[in-house]
Amino acid sequence: MSSVIPAPIARQPWGMLIPLFVLVGFGAAVLYSAGGGGMQPFAASHLVRFGVFITMASVMVLFSRDIVQLVTYPAYALVLLLLVAVEAIGGMGGGSQRWLNIGPIVLQPSELMKPVIVLVIARFYSTLPAGMIVDWRALIPPTGLILVPMALVLMQPDLGTALAIGFGGVVVMFLAGLPMRWFVGAGAVMAVLAPIAFFFGLKEYQQRRVTTFLDPESDPLGAGYHIMQSKIAIGSGGLSGKGFNEGSQSHLNYLPEPHTDFVFATMAEEWGMLGGLVVIVIFGLILRWGLKVARSSNDRFSKLLASGMVATIFFYVAINLMMVMGLAPVVGIPLPFMSHGGSSMMTNMICIGTLMMINRWNRESPRSGLIS
Amino acid sequence: MTTMLASTAVSSGRVRFVSLRQHSLDVARLRVLWLAMLFALVAAAAIVRIVQVGMGGSGPRMTTLSEALLPDRGEITDRNGAPLARASSGFALWFNPKALGDPANPLVRSPVDVAARLKAIFPDLNQADVADKLASGKAGYLRRRILGEDADLVQRIGELALEMPPESDRIYPQGSMGAHVLGYVDSAGNGKVGMEQVLNDHLNNPLTRGDPVALSIDLRVQGALEDELRRGMLSTNAMGAAGIVLDVDTGEVMALASLPEFDPNKIDAAGVNLMFNRVTNQVYELGSTFKPITIASAIDAGVVRDFGKRYQANQPIKVGRFSIKDSHPLGASLNVPEALIHSSNIVTAEIADELGAKRLRQTMIDLGMNERPYIELPAKGFPIWPGDNWPRLRNMTVSYGHGIAVTPLHLASAYAAMVNGGIWRPATLRKLEAGEAPKGRRVFKASTSYRMRQLLRMIAVYGTGKNADAPGFRVGGKTGSAEKPGKGGYRESSLVSTFAAAFPMDNPRYVIIAMLDEPKGTTASSFQRTAAWNAAPVVGRLVPRIGPVLGVRPDDQADVDISDLRPLIQSAIK
Repeated sequence: MSSVIPAPIARQPWGMLIPLFVLVGFGAAVLYSAGGGGMQPFAASHLVRFGVFITMASVMVLFSRDIVQLVTYPAYALVLLLLVAVEAIGGMGGGSQRWLNIGPIVLQPSELMKPVIVLVIARFYSTLPAGMIVDWRALIPPTGLILVPMALVLMQPDLGTALAIGFGGVVVMFLAGLPMRWFVGAGAVMAVLAPIAFFFGLKEYQQRRVTTFLDPESDPLGAGYHIMQSKIAIGSGGLSGKGFNEGSQSHLNYLPEPHTDFVFATMAEEWGMLGGLVVIVIFGLILRWGLKVARSSNDRFSKLLASGMVATIFFYVAINLMMVMGLAPVVGIPLPFMSHGGSSMMTNMICIGTLMMINRWNRESPRSGLIS
Repeated sequence: MTTMLASTAVSSGRVRFVSLRQHSLDVARLRVLWLAMLFALVAAAAIVRIVQVGMGGSGPRMTTLSEALLPDRGEITDRNGAPLARASSGFALWFNPKALGDPANPLVRSPVDVAARLKAIFPDLNQADVADKLASGKAGYLRRRILGEDADLVQRIGELALEMPPESDRIYPQGSMGAHVLGYVDSAGNGKVGMEQVLNDHLNNPLTRGDPVALSIDLRVQGALEDELRRGMLSTNAMGAAGIVLDVDTGEVMALASLPEFDPNKIDAAGVNLMFNRVTNQVYELGSTFKPITIASAIDAGVVRDFGKRYQANQPIKVGRFSIKDSHPLGASLNVPEALIHSSNIVTAEIADELGAKRLRQTMIDLGMNERPYIELPAKGFPIWPGDNWPRLRNMTVSYGHGIAVTPLHLASAYAAMVNGGIWRPATLRKLEAGEAPKGRRVFKASTSYRMRQLLRMIAVYGTGKNADAPGFRVGGKTGSAEKPGKGGYRESSLVSTFAAAFPMDNPRYVIIAMLDEPKGTTASSFQRTAAWNAAPVVGRLVPRIGPVLGVRPDDQADVDISDLRPLIQSAIK
């Protein structure tokens, strides 16, 4: 077998790529249905974007560790600048804005920040001497690195993305081996601060999302509408669904955002519980591969970077699934590789590309027996 | 432990570095494990949730298009699929004081203002009454049925407390037509009186109500029958009328009417009083219409062999204190055709006497005269049946239709058996497909039946049935005018006049019974009260209307061959 297939092809991480292709193809099928039974407007652009970004990821694979480490801080600074630019343009335009129009490309810098924050925190802790990790002063730079972009994104305002950035950064810190008591303490502080933040920090519509999340039936036609319709869609799918292109919830526009945030509900209505389980299993395969890459990395930077990327993808998947199933409040986070949307596709493909890159590093310089 | 062992071998600084390194790697590995556990936890939660939501059935009940189109109650159609009773949904106007969420102030505007706005939509509304209802704060109907466009207007008032719940309704698109056949549906959704009651389970069963039930009724025939009966009833000031059109070969009822009728779309106290079905529930002494049955029985038994044989007709027959006479002298003697043409009680009684009570009684039993009529309708009258042992007088009175009381439906089935070749079949209101007609039972020989066609045709051509002889339709039939029994005997003033007919007599297809209850002598009936002047013309007008509809074309050339009997009735042909 291995003799028949050329080595450059055989050494690709097919254990991840094949599930990924299946998932994107499945996503395109769901978008075909969500688009009223046609490649336009969603399915075709979904596949085209995937093609573009898988090419981008293939190019990323070629980067060496040194180059990546070199561009880490400049990249962070650039994305931060873009975020400021978004705020500035939004401020001048007289309204909140999340997008930058660069020629034909619509760029969402907050999305770019998700992998970049992982990169920069991983870089920071890879250079930090091991003895310094437990020093509280070492906490200040990464906390600043995380909080500044979070604050900028919160100003947009985009709670979901801000949380995603925070999560990515904190997970890397966690993996870097910071003392457990710090996290426990932070958790305790959050538990105290959360009600205060809820009543004073959140906008009223965000507050309502949280209260309706706790009891969506209280307002089924208002703020609870999304969750109710989503649960109806998933529930009506039953075991094997209504069949391809037969979903009434999405086709008749009961389900809001059937092609982006609630694509899972659209899928579950037509493919049922089995379709939902298939999607979850595929995500499990991809994430497991990512963790395997992280585990077989032979330096601290690669390890942290790989784990952080896996966590970023995981955050998307987990929050989206829980939101769609009524386990989390409605925050605008799409489902990776299935939802229609260029920015999230780009972010997730950057994560995948980074993991493939680290996978290549691992292959080309196997871990030395000394350290392991 | 390995680090401890290694520490002895290498310098202490190196050892410290390696152990630190090892420690941080251990921590990192543990932390990745924590992360993986978090992943697994979320995945498990997602799977549990998707199964819960998917199995929990939080989605709406799946309804297919056919389920959505399933009527609340099955439809009833006539034999050609024209709708007789339809399921329909209407709206009610309901006051729900809790709708606004503030029971103390159920309305945005004042009750008087809202009542005035409703009055503008429903001009017949009792404004003060509605204002009181709205002010009372109690939930209740403001109107039981409103139109969809009016519901839109009510919606535009903008009061949440005014609700318009959809309600299932029953519509009889033909109005009161066929009311006694159909019946109605009460407010609880149960069918009453007619086929609505008979078919109640079938019409309510979700498995069967999707397909309309076809009755044997033909809408066009029903309409014509009711129209002509009503005309006859009104023109003679009769208190009621009944009629039936029956397929002689299958027993299917093509039309069945009892007048005055009720309106199943609007059931009120007056309507309830009119629900009594004269065709199937009321028993009458149907008088002379029984004479052909007696003659047929006598022919069948071989008692009447010679149609030229003459019977004395001017001497009343005395039996005990009772004497049987004719209404007016018909001559010294009559043969059988003449006796029927002139409707002689005396001659019929003589023949019945010769036939004997046993054989006439058996014929009546064979024709089902001793039991309730065979039809699906719930209200079926039990005949006044003379019992087992008929004395001589009872035998004679039964022969001309007295001392026995049956429903008009009994008579229709008997006439069908008399003209269709001799087979009696139960009447039915269900549409029968080809080959579904019951086998029936033989009452008369085919030859007897053929004789009866001749005789009935001769009555219509030469006798009391002349007014029923619609040109070209070869109608045959017999009149009957019986006095209704009252206190202490028969009341001469109140008659039940009946015409029992069949057409076309050369190949009988349909039996028609037209009956008027207590007709008066009016100009329309030439101041006569007997069937020849009121019931027979009803049939005479009805047959040309329904004949073509039922596939019987008028034909001057075709007729039943009566050439062998015509020489016997020279006296009648003037």
